[in-house]
Amino acid sequence: MAGAKHSQAMFFQARAGEKIRNKVLQKALQKAKPLFVGKRAKAMAALPEDGFEFEALRSACVDIRNRVLGDLDVWLELFEEKAKATGAEVLWARDGDEICELVIDVARRHGVTKATKSKSMLSEEAHLNEALAAAGIRPVETDLGEYIIQLAGETPSHIIAPAVHKTIEEVEALFAEEHGRPLETRTSADIPAMTREAREVLRQHFLSAEMGITGANFLIAETGSAALVTNEGNGRMVTTLPRVHVVVTGIEKIVPTLDDFATLMRLLPRSATGQTISNYVSLLTGTKQPGDSDGPEKTVFILVDNGRANLLGSAYQEMLRCIRCGACMNHCPVYFSLGGHAYGWVYPGPMGSVLTPLYTGIENALDLPHASTGCNQCGTVCPVRIPLPGLMHRLREEQVERGLRPLGESFALKAWAWLAGKPRLYRWVVRRASRYLNWLADDSGRIRILGMAPGWTAGRDLSVPAGKTFHEQYAARKRA
Amino acid sequence: MRLALYVTCLVDLIRPSVGMASLRLLEAAGCEVIVPESQTCCGQPAWSAGNRPLAAELAKKAISELEGYDYVVIPSGSCTDQVRNVYPQLLADDPLWAPRAQQLAARTFELTTFLVDILKVELPPADFAGSVTYHDSCKGLRGLGIKRQPRELLLKVRGLSLDEMADCEECCGFGGAFSVKFGDISTQIVDRKCESIAKVGAAAVVGGDLGCLINIEGRLRRRGDETTRVLHIAEVLAGEES
Ligand code: SF4
Repeated sequence: MAGAKHSQAMFFQARAGEKIRNKVLQKALQKAKPLFVGKRAKAMAALPEDGFEFEALRSACVDIRNRVLGDLDVWLELFEEKAKATGAEVLWARDGDEICELVIDVARRHGVTKATKSKSMLSEEAHLNEALAAAGIRPVETDLGEYIIQLAGETPSHIIAPAVHKTIEEVEALFAEEHGRPLETRTSADIPAMTREAREVLRQHFLSAEMGITGANFLIAETGSAALVTNEGNGRMVTTLPRVHVVVTGIEKIVPTLDDFATLMRLLPRSATGQTISNYVSLLTGTKQPGDSDGPEKTVFILVDNGRANLLGSAYQEMLRCIRCGACMNHCPVYFSLGGHAYGWVYPGPMGSVLTPLYTGIENALDLPHASTGCNQCGTVCPVRIPLPGLMHRLREEQVERGLRPLGESFALKAWAWLAGKPRLYRWVVRRASRYLNWLADDSGRIRILGMAPGWTAGRDLSVPAGKTFHEQYAARKRA
Repeated sequence: MRLALYVTCLVDLIRPSVGMASLRLLEAAGCEVIVPESQTCCGQPAWSAGNRPLAAELAKKAISELEGYDYVVIPSGSCTDQVRNVYPQLLADDPLWAPRAQQLAARTFELTTFLVDILKVELPPADFAGSVTYHDSCKGLRGLGIKRQPRELLLKVRGLSLDEMADCEECCGFGGAFSVKFGDISTQIVDRKCESIAKVGAAAVVGGDLGCLINIEGRLRRRGDETTRVLHIAEVLAGEES
């Protein structure tokens, strides 16, 4: 895999500071978090009214996803057979480069000069837009958020709200420039007006594009269909108006039956946006048939590995259950302090801290598995019970096993463990440390700069007691 | 009933009063309390850094010195989580140690859980004049289900009123090595906690994990809040903090 291309994920720590100092970004994030969290909480609280119980639904979803992963090859073969029977073509891509080659090849075969897109994470993994542009094919993102960041020349910072890091003022400035009109001052009440403006521009593209590219939330094996879950109408435009529809999706996205899909849909929108169901749920099966008034003449599924098959049977297999709902990042205190760009690759937040090292190479994302307080809010909300902190922990272990941690860190831990194994010496050192801290403290008993932990005291005062350590006090009490 | 009190390294060094308060509380509840002399560190820093061999070494040491008591009580959710949830997993493949790890895990409890769910005795009532707000630490809350127990105990304290802050279950940004390695992210997170505390306007923030409390107190003071007290629940229940 293109390790070098993604080595930016190494610089998480450096980028974090810059994100924290970015006041505009911070404002956007502070606004978004309570919305996400509140909507999900409401949706989950309302489940019993609809006759569901969260834990039971979760178990059902976990079972479905595990069943698929247990026999992935079988379900993929079944999908291929069924999809072909509906007139679709099924292609396989090992990595990002192959995705680009295949999509460009399909485009060339059908004389495509413009492709409309509705969000596909895999095209982000593959840098597909750049490859298309280089091949003379214009890619146009049509999800509002994706459209905004395409204009800004950025990458998504959230998997379901890609422009969550942008304020309305920034979007207004972008639109004014791109749509060739004077700058206005708009408030959040004007968002519908801005949406209308984007729609008018996009309408031209929907009508003129020869190819539509989408991802799929799920592939359904028994019918050979792709399921698309969206909140904007653009998904239908992209999949029905152009002559050619290309679906690019990961091999793990498969579910056995329509029933299974229905079960997963009970938790996907509720976890993501707090909706009982999203505005549009499309099941796309095959090509336009004689007598049909719309639909593509050609449907191509590109099923992508890009590191997924490696996870099967590994300590990280559970990560393949992910249904990309975004709940983990919406509840992550670290994500909402930084936004998604700090994570350096397609997948941000807790799921990204697991996926990015796995897909781009553990050595290329050393910080990410450590960028967690271990609070486990993510694991608590994940609809398919992925033990995200546990997987991050496993990645930390692998870093240690492969000697990828800084020498200073390994040495400090070893010294600490050695000392902890010698209780008498340990007591003596803790006593000295206690006196030393006292000596460092000012009149109010606080330490404002601690050389050993400069990062910590950069933002905090450490209060230390004037007295003796607990074990000293306890020993004195026993003697008394 | 003979029990071992396991005093965390932070308590030993930074806030010994938490250990002394726990000791007195348990004695007042009628237990024979012993602090095993050779105890040092539960190995959590090594574990969370991903160093399994070192963590296993320290786990074995802790198991050896904590076996043989009716119960082990720890005034910390995160260290209790280490013993209860991590030790058995850490030593699962070791036929000699796995059963010992499991036995210890089953007899080890966080202080408030032990007082409320296991001992179920009435403690001599303490006094505290004023309102407090309770911060739920992540490991205790999500790893051990500690939520109701500290509140039940606090509500019995004379003069104390409990005012819940918004997002009391939200992480304070401590996370052990996390707050040292990623100091600025941690500060950003603890700032949100400080704002919730300011909003509820309680006289004290109370919690069951010294790590979180040191982090919260450190940030409150640096932000210029000199008045909000930051207390471990053992200190409040033992009654010298009124
Ligand atoms: S890891 Fe879980 S919570 Fe996060 S996106 Fe995937 S399914 Fe959703």
